Order: sequence, then structure tokens, then C-alpha cells
Amino acid sequence: MSKSTEENTPELRPHVYDGIQEYDQKLPNWWLFTFYIAIAFFVIYWLAYYQFQLIPTDEERMHAAMAQIDAARLKQLESLDDAKLWAMAKDVKAIESGKATYAASCMACHGPTLAGGPGLPGLSLADKVWKHGGQPSEILKVIRKGSPDVSKGMPAWEPQLGLPRVLEVLAYVLSHHQEGETFTVDPNDKPTWMAAAPATGAQ
Amino acid sequence: MSRSLPNLISVTTIAPDGSRRTVQPADVRGRYTFWRRVTAVLLLAVYILLPWIPINGSPAVFLDVAHRRFHILGFVLAAEDLWLGFFLVTGVAFSLFYVSAVMGRVWCGWTCPYTVFLEHVYRRVERWIDGDGPARRRLEEAPLTVGKVLRRVFKHGIYLLLSAFIAHVFLSYFVSLRQLYAMMQGPPSQHWLAFGVVAFLTASLYFAFSWFREQFCIILCPYGRLQSALTDDHTVNVGYDKTRGEPRGKVNTPGAGDCINCQRCVQVCPTGIDIRNGLQLECIGCAACVDACDDIMAKVGRKPGLIRHDSLAAFKGGRTKWVRPRTVLYGLLLVCGMIVCSLSLLAVKPVGVSLNRLTGAPYFVNNGEIRNQFQLRLVNKRPQPAVYRVALAPDAPEGLRLTDAADAVQVPALGEVVKTVVLTLPKDQFRGPIKTQLSISTEPDGRTQVARELEFLGPDPRLQNDEYLNPQNYLR
Ligand code: SF4
Ligand code: SF4
Repeated sequence: MSKSTEENTPELRPHVYDGIQEYDQKLPNWWLFTFYIAIAFFVIYWLAYYQFQLIPTDEERMHAAMAQIDAARLKQLESLDDAKLWAMAKDVKAIESGKATYAASCMACHGPTLAGGPGLPGLSLADKVWKHGGQPSEILKVIRKGSPDVSKGMPAWEPQLGLPRVLEVLAYVLSHHQEGETFTVDPNDKPTWMAAAPATGAQ
Repeated sequence: MSRSLPNLISVTTIAPDGSRRTVQPADVRGRYTFWRRVTAVLLLAVYILLPWIPINGSPAVFLDVAHRRFHILGFVLAAEDLWLGFFLVTGVAFSLFYVSAVMGRVWCGWTCPYTVFLEHVYRRVERWIDGDGPARRRLEEAPLTVGKVLRRVFKHGIYLLLSAFIAHVFLSYFVSLRQLYAMMQGPPSQHWLAFGVVAFLTASLYFAFSWFREQFCIILCPYGRLQSALTDDHTVNVGYDKTRGEPRGKVNTPGAGDCINCQRCVQVCPTGIDIRNGLQLECIGCAACVDACDDIMAKVGRKPGLIRHDSLAAFKGGRTKWVRPRTVLYGLLLVCGMIVCSLSLLAVKPVGVSLNRLTGAPYFVNNGEIRNQFQLRLVNKRPQPAVYRVALAPDAPEGLRLTDAADAVQVPALGEVVKTVVLTLPKDQFRGPIKTQLSISTEPDGRTQVARELEFLGPDPRLQNDEYLNPQNYLR
């Protein structure tokens, strides 16, 4: 070993464990810097987050984001009236994609022709009898939020599909109707196939 | 030499005051260096070209995060197949365990991307601009002059360009080349995330390869830190033959060993150690010192191999045991891992299926029928459109039926469809929850079949009348 190495030999600490001793060496500076940066970060974060509440908490951020989404949705909904919805029902592209969503999500209950079908639980969407109102905005509400009667099984679709796809489905349904047609509202509306034979012992 | 020789007490690259000491490895030539360069060029080609080689219509490796489809050598995996990653990671770990037990840190010196980029890209650039080891050392110690500044700016500019290039190569594994090209044309404001990733990566790579260098291998890399637990006296490592070499002395000194103390081995070492002190945690097994010493031995007319690949046992005069509990165990683990990994890869179906109850009540009773509503998610992992038939398992109880069983579901290539599935059962046939299966098969060949468990729920038949209120029932 050359002379300079000996001069630089670090101090040997006095303690011995299992015959193992250690030198008192400096940490690499870059390592120390990461440590100092962590300390600085802690102080800044502690002050900003816990003491002065400068940084919003995750909960606040989430609520803010939700409020933003709600506001956007509300704005979107507010701009929708029956006339606009009818106008949308003439948009071929919206009807096309609405049809695809209908096939995947709605057909299992309301049938391939929208008229329900033997053994299908869904009400007919093609006839002129509506259970919860036949204005586009009323139909939209049922698709968005589900049937007001939760025992019937029509779920809220907006959380699953999102408003744009719900609107497309509505456009598809409305494309089977005429603007201004007369309809009746019957709170006891039943699937068409059952209308002939009165329900036996149903709840 | 004014600088002290590396020793076992301190890390060469860290000065006593904690500051960094740079290593300027000298040039080296030889068979290991040659093959190491060949390996590096091949690996670099692989890194860069994988996203460009099409297999089955998509790149050889394309981790399409945006669409959650992972194309790996013709296989397509979806997000739901992420569990395979466990076997990939354990498989890689076991392979590395095995390799380390047998041959030490060869991975580090030969194939680790970090070393490949550092030794064969950045250090080559540095050699080209600043000259060989001693010249670089002189330049480092020289006072700042205009010339030096210009040279430094030039070098670091190229480092930055290289880092940006590697960052883009990295990104090309995650976004398609066409999209990457489009993003490179557009302003960052259109794709902040991708821009941020590339900027961060560029900065990290630049820092790592221009300054941090061997510190990563010595101090940070977990695999490097694991070495001492994975190797033993029979592991073949780069080592110095003490018996042959000591005592060191000039060529004609009587009684001297084969080491002429020329210190070539120290000068070429990229981690700045003296291998003659024995195996140390810094050594990445790059074999530069082997080439350097063989060269000297040839010059002084001695046998090569004073520094060579051998085990500690062999250096002490014994023989390397290749078959030993450690290699057998790691080997078994490796084989196990490979078998399980291939089996699980084969078990991956080209269609992903998940079945969940639709939101709302668990069951509905309407018009004399009990109804359960489910949501079926079908993920097509093939690059062709597919049609799936959804049906109840043949052993499903009578009366239970799907409202639109006849339907074949079309799913576009690599797409997914979420479908409502409604099951009904006449109320008087319900005797309690029914466990059955929904089966999904490809149309028209029926080659792929997947079944999913489901439970059909309904009102407890015992509660259909007031019998349960009769205390007599409970006194029997
Ligand atoms: S290169 Fe070989 S001869 Fe020269 S100092 Fe190293 S071990 Fe000794
Ligand atoms: S001691 Fe030899 S093999 Fe190990 S890192 Fe240095 S040059 Fe490479």
C-alpha cells in the first residue's frame, strides 16, 4: 500500500461484535444529499399540508373532482330539452351506436325489436304505452337512474355507460317513435306477452 | 502514480470526505472485450428494434397501456393476465440466482442494459471526444479553458441527445411508433404525460450515465447487493491467482511471482478496484482486467490466466465443484419457474371473461319469475374479430334459462363488449341458491371454451309462508 492510503485510512471504531469491527467512513455525498432533500421535503410538506393546509387532501381533491364532474353533467343535462332530444333521435350515427349499446346492455330484457318478447322481463319500448312517462326527458331519466320502482330490476345505466352512451340509447329508442305522437301513461304497464294472460300469483 | 492504489478498506470512487472520485478506465483489447462488444451491439439492436419487428400484425413487444393490451412475441395479453407478471419476475429472479451461483456477476458485466449503455455507448462517446484514460484524467485535472469548456459542452450535448434517444426508444415500447412520431411532431401541450415521461427519463439517463455511473452498480442495484448471498467458494468469478502472482516483482527479480505489478488490471477496471485484493462487491465481472493482464503476460512471455475466471476453491489449489446443493437448488427452482411460467402462458385464453352481478337488488321477483341480472365482460385478445356464444352449462337445473341465449356476441379485434345477461326461473321451482356455470365458446368452431361460476339467488323458499313463525317447528 502506498503512503497516501495509510494517511487516509479511516478510523476504526472500538466496538467489536462477533469479531467484526467497523470503520468510521463518510457516506457518499450524493447519498447524504438524498437524505437532506428528504428532510427539506418533509419540512415543506409538513408545513404546507398539515399546518397551513396549502395542499388539498385527497378527500378534498376527490370532492372537487366530483363537483366538477357533476357541474359538467348538470350543464350537459340542462341544455337538453325534449326538442333537442328529438333532434338527436334523427342523428343516424347516434342511432347506430345506440343500437350497439342496446344490443349489449338492454336487449336481454327488452328484446331485439324493443317490443319485449315471450318470457322477457322488460316492458315494450316500441308501443305507445309508457309506465313512467313518454316524453324524451322522462325516458332519459329512467335510463339514467333506473326504474323508480327498484323491485322491477331496471338498473341505473348512467354509472355504467356514461351519459353520452345513454343519450345514444335514447336516440335509438326514440327512432322507433314519432315526435308529437300520442301516448298514454299507465303505471301498471306490463310486458306485452303478459297483458293477455293476467299475472297469476305474482308479487 | 500519484493516486493511491485501491484497497479493501474504502470504496475507490468515494473519497474520505465523501466526495466522488471518478474512474477513467484505460483502453483494453482482448477476446473478452471483443465478445463483450459483440454482445452489446446485438443487445442494443434488440432493444431498439423490438418495437419495429412485426409479429402477427403487431410489434414484437408492444405494451399498449392505453388499450391495456400487451403484445409479447405474438402473444396478446390483457390487463386481467397481469398475474403472469409474477411468474415472469420469479422466473427472471430464479434464472439470475442460478447464473450468479454458477458464474457470479456475468449478467452485470455482459448483459445488463445499464452496463451496455454505459460501457458501450456513453463511454465510447467519451473515449472518442476526450481521448484515452490518462488523457481524460489530464483533462479532468486541467484548469477551465475555453477549449475545455467547449469540449465539455460538446460531450454533454451528445450525452443529452443520446439520453433523449434512449428515452424515446423506451417510450416506443408503450405507444405505437406512428403515435410516437405524431407526438414528436406536435407541441408538448398535446401530450403532457408522454412528454413528462420522456423528459424525466432523459434527465435520469443523462444523470445516470454522465455522472452516477458505477455508483449504481456498487451501491444501489439490489441484484448487486444480493451477490454475496448467492455465491460461494465454488462460484466462478474473475479472480487473481495469488499463488502464481505473489510476491509481485519486476520481470527479472529473482524469487518474484508472475505479477509484475504493472497495474494494468487496476487501470482498466471500470469500478476502480484492484482485483488482486480478491473478489470485491464492486466487481461486475466485466473481464477487462483479464484481457489487460493476459496482454501483459504475453508481452513478458508468461502463460496467460494470472487473472482469469475461476472459483475461489480453484485459486486455492482445489477444484471447482459444479454440482453442489446451491446450484442444484437454484437449478431446480429455475426449471420449476420455467415450467410454471410456460404452463401459465399456455393457460391464457384468447378471450377474457368476467361475470358480475349488475347493480341493484341481487334478485327480482316479477310476474311469477325470479330474475338475476349479470354483467358479462368479454375481452377479445385476438387481432381478429370474434363471435362468442353465451350459454348456460348443460347441467344447469331445468327451468333456469337465459333470456337471450340464442345471441352470439360479436367482439371486434382486440376489443371488448360488456353485455347484460339475464337469467330467469319460475318462482315455484326455486328451492334455494343455485350454483351453476355460464359457458362461453367461440363461434363457429367452439375451439375456445371458458366457463364462469355464477350463483342464482332468490327469496328463501322457507319464508314463502308463515310456517317459520310456528314455534312447534323448532321444538321437535
Ligand atoms: S495486470 Fe497482471 S501483471 Fe499487471 S499488475 Fe495486474 S495482475 Fe499484475
Ligand atoms: S475487477 Fe476486473 S472484472 Fe471486476 S469490474 Fe474490475 S475490470 Fe471488471
